[in-house]
Amino acid sequence: MKRRNFVRGLLATPAAPAVLLGQQAAQPQPHPKPNTPARQNPREPHNVPQLATVAEDLSAQPAPRYFNEAQFATLCKLGALLLPPLKGNPGAVDAQAPEFLDFLISVSPDDRQKLYLCGLDALDAQARDKFQKPFSELDAQQADAILRPLLTARPWPADLPSDPLQNFLAQVHEDLRTATMNSREWALASEKSGHLFTRGFRTSGYYWAPIDPIYEG
Amino acid sequence: MPIKTYDVLIVGSGHSGGMAANILTGKGISCLMLNAGPEADYEKDRSLKHAYELPYRGFNKPGRLPHVFQANEFNANQWVDEKEVPYTHPADAPYNWVRVRLLGGRSLFWARQSFRLSDYEFKAGEIDGTDSWPISLADLAPYYSRVEQIFRVSGRKEGWPQFPDGDFVESTFPPDTDSIKRLTEICNKRGVGVSKWRSALGKDGLASSINLLLPDALATGKLDIVQNAIVRQITTDKNTGLANGAHFLDRHSGREMHVKARVVVLAAGCLESTRLLLNSKIANSSGVMGHYLVDQMYGVSVVASVPEARDGKAPPGLMGGNAFIPRFRNLKKSEKCNFIKGYCVTINSGGSASPNFFPLYGAELQAKLDSYANSCVSGGIFGERVARYENHVRIDDKVTDRWGIPVLHIEARDSENERNLTKDAADTIEEWFHEAGWEVICKTDRVNPPGYSIHEVGTCRMGNNPKKSVLNKWCQSHDIKNLFVVDGASFVTCGWQNPTMTILSLSMRASEYLAEQMRTRSI
Repeated sequence: MKRRNFVRGLLATPAAPAVLLGQQAAQPQPHPKPNTPARQNPREPHNVPQLATVAEDLSAQPAPRYFNEAQFATLCKLGALLLPPLKGNPGAVDAQAPEFLDFLISVSPDDRQKLYLCGLDALDAQARDKFQKPFSELDAQQADAILRPLLTARPWPADLPSDPLQNFLAQVHEDLRTATMNSREWALASEKSGHLFTRGFRTSGYYWAPIDPIYEG
Repeated sequence: MPIKTYDVLIVGSGHSGGMAANILTGKGISCLMLNAGPEADYEKDRSLKHAYELPYRGFNKPGRLPHVFQANEFNANQWVDEKEVPYTHPADAPYNWVRVRLLGGRSLFWARQSFRLSDYEFKAGEIDGTDSWPISLADLAPYYSRVEQIFRVSGRKEGWPQFPDGDFVESTFPPDTDSIKRLTEICNKRGVGVSKWRSALGKDGLASSINLLLPDALATGKLDIVQNAIVRQITTDKNTGLANGAHFLDRHSGREMHVKARVVVLAAGCLESTRLLLNSKIANSSGVMGHYLVDQMYGVSVVASVPEARDGKAPPGLMGGNAFIPRFRNLKKSEKCNFIKGYCVTINSGGSASPNFFPLYGAELQAKLDSYANSCVSGGIFGERVARYENHVRIDDKVTDRWGIPVLHIEARDSENERNLTKDAADTIEEWFHEAGWEVICKTDRVNPPGYSIHEVGTCRMGNNPKKSVLNKWCQSHDIKNLFVVDGASFVTCGWQNPTMTILSLSMRASEYLAEQMRTRSI
């Protein structure tokens, strides 16, 4: 073939798919396999055993370290008051919900940390002001005198009170509840009682692992 | 190795892209599908777990996915990472853009509510003076029928013009409980019709492009799918102005690639398709691209407790079941409301009260919750927002995603019309519940931010006038005749209905039109 004709042939190629469309429909091309199978070197490890491991919560205690001693004591007191053990279910303290929230808030955005720190301090300050002792040492009646005026009804989940302390109480109440009902202790109690599903809470289900995560190097 | 030349490039693999691939390959047209994310392996990537086994005990990692209210720690990895692909919005106008980039897109996780739009939406201009579509229900009805058969939609036929019947699979519904019957009587007395949910049954628990549309397309041998391909620009021929392919980046390495095709079909999801077109700086001679962003309002809620069902004393047959009340407002021109458009109401019976409803704690709260358990009837809405020019997206040049692609700035606000509509909805449901003799324990007319419904549509609206619309009635660009947008971007109004059946039907119709144009060499 002369070089001129060869070049003409190359230039004509892009038009071909349009012209041949009808033929393509009549004579489908075999679909090439996109990849050849990868081969394993026989010296690579194989038949590697999968060892049994246990969850960290089964072999160790959480070590709270974010809140100071007074704040953590106030949070534990709130757990005991807002969600005590009821109907055979563990309470917030049994479920170590305060310990878990100590961790959760420590890794939360600034505004949530501030809400908790100020809220716990404010409750403690009110207790010392009204009863001359820390919130964590109040009896049920004294604590109720502080908490009840701060309680609000929330028809819309995101409709949080504008008052910072009411807002804190609404959120800590919900967080303690979630941390308790999502706990291992709650799951064991549910299993024992035969009530495996807790209405309104997703205590178990299908978890999606990271799918094809990007390799960060 | 010679690179295959494709007839059609399809960007996106959800319902609309899957339908385009299904129709086009069925007619012998070779397609390449590019999908921005990977393929999920339902066996490998998914496992049953307790919340306590997860690192954040089910709370999700704090600060992750702040705009995805649907996210929890179980499903967090389904959604697009907002840090990886951010977007911006005014501080006073939050927008929830909820995205999935897995192969199959949001078709993997949708709620399967399957409705047709009616001529109250298609011909809205004749009813309320807003804009009409360039097509009517009659144009789309044959495609709706075929889609409903593929997706196996169950439903009850009613013969109501605002709630067009479909080609439903044989559907049986359990008899209504007394609480649903009571509500139905109250609604019927007011001329409000009460029906049942219409839902896609799909196959094997899934009604997605990956199990209902793409397998047939692959079986033709005419479809190649490339995963992890992030399209950044549609390319055009400098002489003809026609689309001729796309630049894309490998999700892992960022390696840039280019693919050539005779036709480009965008199906990346309304806002991603529009972002791609805006970044490509094409097909916008009208200046309308990005405008008329709209979705539905969710969040209005009224919950009542049925007194005789409290304390576990509900007689058999009183509680349970559900009802679906399609739009009943503004169906007649003579009707005087302080808003246009309408909403549907969803009713569920037999639920329990949320602890948030009561200003109580400890044993007192638990006693209240126990007393009200399973005694509740709840009503929510899907409300139609008005598509308005000022609600729009544009490119934010100052912010780029992980791959250096400029992101979207989204600006959408509700108007007085939306506020009046949601107030009417909450007041109306409360009135029904009061008349039923039930105790209303929760009422709110607040709605979630725009975007929350995951039904965002518009931004490349269709129309007959190229100066006022981006696409023609075939979802084809007015400016570039070999460019189609087959996802929700073409919508003129959003209706109160879940848009999936309409997106699928429009994609089917556009794809058959495209195939015919290719057969006759018109494209």
